[in-house]
Amino acid sequence: MGIIKKLPIYSEKIPGGGIVTTSVEQILNFAQAKSLWYLLFGTACCAIELMCTGASRYDFDRLGMIFRASPRQSDLIIAAGTITKKMAPRLRTLYDQMAEPRYVIAMGGCTIKGGPFYYDSYSVEKGIEHIIPVDVFIPGCPPRPESLLEGCLTLQKQIQQRKLADWQEK
Amino acid sequence: MTNEELKSYIETNYTSLLTHNEAGKYDLLFEVDAVNLVTVCEKLKNDPELLFDYFCNLSGADTTEKFEAIYNLGSIKKKIRIDIKVVLPHENPVIDSVQTVWPAANWYEREMWELYGIHINNHDNLTRFLLHDEWDEGYPMRKDWDAPDFIRFPDL
Amino acid sequence: MTDLRTEEFDINMGPHHPSTHGVCRLLLTMDGEKVVKVVPYIGYLHRAIEKICENRTYAMCIPILDRFEYVTAMSCNYVFSLAAERLSGIEVPERAEYLRVIMLELNRIASHLIFFGTTAMDIGALTPFLYALREREYIMDLFEMTCGQRLTYNYIRVGGVSKDIPEKFIPQCKVTISTITEKVEEYKRLLNKNPIWKMRTIGIGKLDADLAIAYGVSGPILRASGIDYDLRRDDPYSIYDRFDFNIPVYHNGDVFDRYMLRLDEIQESCKIVAQALEGIEEGPIRAKVSPNFKPAAGETYTRIENSRG
Repeated sequence: MGIIKKLPIYSEKIPGGGIVTTSVEQILNFAQAKSLWYLLFGTACCAIELMCTGASRYDFDRLGMIFRASPRQSDLIIAAGTITKKMAPRLRTLYDQMAEPRYVIAMGGCTIKGGPFYYDSYSVEKGIEHIIPVDVFIPGCPPRPESLLEGCLTLQKQIQQRKLADWQEK
Repeated sequence: MTNEELKSYIETNYTSLLTHNEAGKYDLLFEVDAVNLVTVCEKLKNDPELLFDYFCNLSGADTTEKFEAIYNLGSIKKKIRIDIKVVLPHENPVIDSVQTVWPAANWYEREMWELYGIHINNHDNLTRFLLHDEWDEGYPMRKDWDAPDFIRFPDL
Repeated sequence: MTDLRTEEFDINMGPHHPSTHGVCRLLLTMDGEKVVKVVPYIGYLHRAIEKICENRTYAMCIPILDRFEYVTAMSCNYVFSLAAERLSGIEVPERAEYLRVIMLELNRIASHLIFFGTTAMDIGALTPFLYALREREYIMDLFEMTCGQRLTYNYIRVGGVSKDIPEKFIPQCKVTISTITEKVEEYKRLLNKNPIWKMRTIGIGKLDADLAIAYGVSGPILRASGIDYDLRRDDPYSIYDRFDFNIPVYHNGDVFDRYMLRLDEIQESCKIVAQALEGIEEGPIRAKVSPNFKPAAGETYTRIENSRG
């Protein structure tokens, strides 16, 4: 907020100072990184921590993250909780329904490699990386809200470092 | 009614149907033949002294030689609880459904059929609901079940 | 209006749906806005916990059971430990029993707060969600200072509890429960007279007593249907028989009654915690149990009163 409050002091002195020159790359990346709307996709324990992060004390909204109920309106899936073999095709469908550019955060041990269910569970998918591509992994069982915030900041940094050439359709 | 009174009541009134099993700790455990199951359950539910109207749980067990189905029953009015065990052979285990007595048994029986392969007679909806749609690896809760990605812990 | 033609139609709700906390698919047959038939499909979170526990030692099971019921992980730890203790006749020290009761009741409050927040959120009021999770954080702080985890505690072990409470736990816990007792009154003021809330909850989802018993419904939902049955009083475990608390019962069996009952239960749980904090004495917190512990041969089936039934 500090910069925005001080901005009029400098800009009003200069004729035409209301205009800021910046690169398209920067403004696109900035806009995208600061309004990541995430899909409410919680399956297990991590969903409760995701809820806590969205609630009063940790306040996800200050990172520009607002939950959306529909995959069509969201930019980010936070895969929170165990993905079973029965749920895996549904996760893929949800990912396919999202509009580009889309990002994935794998929250918790289960989504990274099966977590505590790695060795001897017959129904748990061992990691979501072979279902959907993942941008940021957050370890923990479940991760604390702080680590989720850290993961989201990491993703925002990643987005802001993107080059314009990456946007081009291949 | 204390456990002692309950035990003597059942032993006098259900002599040929229920036999007491010493393995049960804390709550009473009785064994019943698979053929008598539904009649016993109806009797237990309608007995004015017992009134087992509350179906707590149904669990299965595989002892490698036999299958066991354990019914946990409770009575809300009398505040008592017993367990009933049915022992089934390892080949072609079949059991009668008790969902006419307690509708709550429906899903537990489906689960037991799905995970243990114990067939349920007279069940109205014996379909898969826990395992995923393409499952074809048998009954996972059986002791002899194995899969390539299933890692057994060494005995400690 | 009489010649208006209506037709039933099917809606598939889930397995991913914003108001299914957890995953469950419902095939709804609708007549206008009224649901006339529901076919539930579950198993999207079937994680083979029974098979995993079969494969491990008793001590290794407890962390897995945290993940089994993650909103009230304490009671899952507890019921497993209770079964093992009853099988092998382990005597749990007095202080451990008090700590268990405190933790179980605090966890019950946390669970009911989640119910309160998310139910109100799904019905269309976001404020209660923020309020409820704000108060829940205080309880999470207490758990965190005791066992280092916010959600999956691995705290109640066979024979006792894993760690003793730190010094500042008792004063902070007293503040927390008095805050929550006050806040519950605030929640009631917030929602009880709200016409939209009343319209969307009173008379909705009715479950009468006979049906509830026939389908084995338990916990708060059973008591909201008018059946006075609480295992803390009717099949006492741990040291619940030492505390003085009421068991709220409501009779309509609709969503409003379940909501009221849970809010009342939060206050009753606060009472229990307050009494336990008064009664707790110094002493050992764990009986001697080997890590490779195996109970004596036999069978036992335990049940306790969980906040979610």
